[in-house]
Amino acid sequence: MLDLTEYRLDNGLRVVLNEDHSAPLVAINLWYHVGSKNERPGRTGFAHLFEHMLFSGSAHVGNNEHFRYVQSVGGVLNGTTFFDRTNYFETLPSNYLALGLWLESDRMGFFLPALTQEKLDIQREVVKEERRQRYDNVPYGTAFERLLNLAYDPDYSYHWPTIGSMEDLGAASLDDVRDFFATWYRPDNCTLTLVGDFAPSEARELVQQYFGDIPAGGAFPKFDLQRQPLGGERREVFRSPIQLPRIYRLYHLPGMGAPEWIHADLLATILSGDKASRLEKALVLDKQIATDVAAYVLPTESAGMLMLQATAKENVPVGEVEAAIDAEIDRVAGSGVTEEELTRAKTRSEVEFAHQLENYDTRADVIGMMATYFGDATMTQRWLEPYQAATAAEIAATTRAHLGNGERVTIHFLPENE
Amino acid sequence: MTDRTTAPPPGPPRPYHFPHVTRKTLGNGLEVLIAENHAAPLASVRALVRSGADHDTAEVAGLASLTADLLDEGAGGRDGVGIAEELGLLGGSLGTGADWDASYISIDVLSRNAGAAMEIFADVVRRADLPAAALERVRSERLMELLQQRDEPAVIAAKRFSGLLYGTGAYGNSIGGNPESVARIAMEHVRGFYGQHYIPNGTAIIAAGDLDAAQFLATIESLFGDWPRGQEPPRPVVNPQRVEASRIYLIDRPTAVQSEIRIGHVGVARDTADYFPLSVMNALLGGVFNSRINLNLRERHGYTYGARSTFAFRRQPGPFVVSAPVRNEVTRESIEEVFAELRRIRTGDVEDRELADTKNYLMGVFPATVQSSGDIAGRLLDMELYGLPHDYFDRYRDNIAAVGKDDIAAVARKYIDPDRALIVIVGNAQQIREPLGSLGMPIHEMDIDGKVA
Repeated sequence: MLDLTEYRLDNGLRVVLNEDHSAPLVAINLWYHVGSKNERPGRTGFAHLFEHMLFSGSAHVGNNEHFRYVQSVGGVLNGTTFFDRTNYFETLPSNYLALGLWLESDRMGFFLPALTQEKLDIQREVVKEERRQRYDNVPYGTAFERLLNLAYDPDYSYHWPTIGSMEDLGAASLDDVRDFFATWYRPDNCTLTLVGDFAPSEARELVQQYFGDIPAGGAFPKFDLQRQPLGGERREVFRSPIQLPRIYRLYHLPGMGAPEWIHADLLATILSGDKASRLEKALVLDKQIATDVAAYVLPTESAGMLMLQATAKENVPVGEVEAAIDAEIDRVAGSGVTEEELTRAKTRSEVEFAHQLENYDTRADVIGMMATYFGDATMTQRWLEPYQAATAAEIAATTRAHLGNGERVTIHFLPENE
Repeated sequence: MTDRTTAPPPGPPRPYHFPHVTRKTLGNGLEVLIAENHAAPLASVRALVRSGADHDTAEVAGLASLTADLLDEGAGGRDGVGIAEELGLLGGSLGTGADWDASYISIDVLSRNAGAAMEIFADVVRRADLPAAALERVRSERLMELLQQRDEPAVIAAKRFSGLLYGTGAYGNSIGGNPESVARIAMEHVRGFYGQHYIPNGTAIIAAGDLDAAQFLATIESLFGDWPRGQEPPRPVVNPQRVEASRIYLIDRPTAVQSEIRIGHVGVARDTADYFPLSVMNALLGGVFNSRINLNLRERHGYTYGARSTFAFRRQPGPFVVSAPVRNEVTRESIEEVFAELRRIRTGDVEDRELADTKNYLMGVFPATVQSSGDIAGRLLDMELYGLPHDYFDRYRDNIAAVGKDDIAAVARKYIDPDRALIVIVGNAQQIREPLGSLGMPIHEMDIDGKVA
């Protein structure tokens, strides 16, 4: 059982400690409970652009010096942004714990004095290149964006992807940066997780020393997302320079951690991932109409999503692939899954979770996620329990309720000349 | 009041030791390496077969990787689905593949089931069925994959760059082959490759994880001890093309909103005596985030999301390449900046601080990169593949520490040659063709299959 100590500083910063001396390393991980869902239309992509800005220096750390401080002692670091959260993390030789806390606290408490228009302009261009590289210049690159556009109405802020639009990135101003920082980047909106080779008493002292005097913010802006039912299926055909047609499907679920979300996670493992999985067996091995299939749930807080995709082989109509997928979903909804399939899926969950906890950095990230989404880091110790308890009947029931209710989004990605 | 004006000093360094490695060479020549790592209830096992796509002839390019793809299609009385079902119950997953220098079979599994998983592993390594029906399916999947790659600018750039450097020989064909060569691969080629190259005296079994080394060694001996020795195949020789003067190859992708740029030439083999100074020099030049090329193109100019330089250290000289996806409008400027950095590193213009930072990074980062059992197995695999000395990881820090400023300039001058470099650009020719002209290098236009117009 993972040994976790969870407490809060007076300013509201949630701190989680996991002492482990197997390697002379410490993972420092901060989850700020803000992401692209906190953006407003016209400023999409801002939370992620802001993440870039937070690497460009603070009052006592020069431009590009954050990276330099970490790398020059043998550390690794990064940050990521998603709908519901933004994380910043570094793994350092454990004797540099104070350095990491100094860097993270400086940008939490003293970021604005170092902000300049020039830094914003550079990072805006970098993020635009990121969008070109990962979305606009690669086959199927805009599929996720298109799915979200159909799956959520414009007033539900999962309507757009974290990367945002080129136009909105262009509109972001220094005032936006200041407002966003003041609203969201504060100790009472953050979980700081430390995993690794430290003495807890010393770690607590250092955390207090570096974060204790950063003030909490005032009230958070009112934030209420209510998703309206789709009222049926939403479909789109999109043509672009690709060679093989691909079908994308999205089903709505409750948010991460809900029983139905866990069932859907197990279902996704039963549907795809190895040769024994249902969709791979039916579409790739038996009928040989698809080159690849994938099914997965996303780790999202406000609403859940089960995603399916399959690439049709050359000269196979994508409708035939879609029909084969639906036949397999119907089969699960109607006849359920076998005990052996369920056992394999549960074992897979156990292994994957063990792999996530194996390294300090990914372990700290899981702990930070549990604390942020569920308000309780010890969820990490109990995370697998609902997986182990799930029954075949529950998998079938969730399949009927969330995949068989007609509420779904389907996109056919087709080559331009088809 | 907390003093925030200066970075806090480090505490005393804590010792790090790479896990102890139990080694044995079995009577049939099979090398066995086992490292215990009890941090998680997991185990990672790898078979390293020391033949890869470097053995593919142009005629049947893709053979090594296609053979690897077929290994999990049936073995020991199980078909492909049966293997997946059995391993799934054990909490295991199986991977197979090939790169230029070797072929690989890997299992990651809950350590409590590692023994049972090893039975399947041994069947796949030694007794793969290689069913003919599966070849047709896997071939068709490969052809689809090759088709899809025609729209992936980074893949096109990498393939054309390798092809221009190495021709159709080893390191030059794509590891996955091409539509014509893949169509030619027959069952007899696959069985031939498997029979000739999957032999104990060309293979190492590497395990890391929550295991008892002595017990696991006994398991491996019982499963592989009677595997009959084979005849070790001669190693093919790579035949790089000579580049007399830098020139540009432009591949038009009319829909491109970025140019995928590759700049470089043939590098050097992994066994070079200059490995450590080269590693430091490349990290400083373009190997890490805070390197010159990335800071220049990304943080100073905002041309790219990321640019980097790489020496592909293989058993024979792999390429040295700088890669950067940049927006169309700054294609020429980006190339000029890369060339400026390549010329500058050769002059010996290196600051004490950046050299110290880079060396400290390389020395300090090692423990963070070998946390998981899979990481440890990967390091042992490198050690075996490249014949590194047994004390390699213990001496690594000292070897990096010994690199001086003069060494940086010396290896830069020896291994980086901006006057004899190939530049491959996959991009929107209509937008970038004209600006490229002012670089003063010949421009050859070619299609995505490498045919020069």
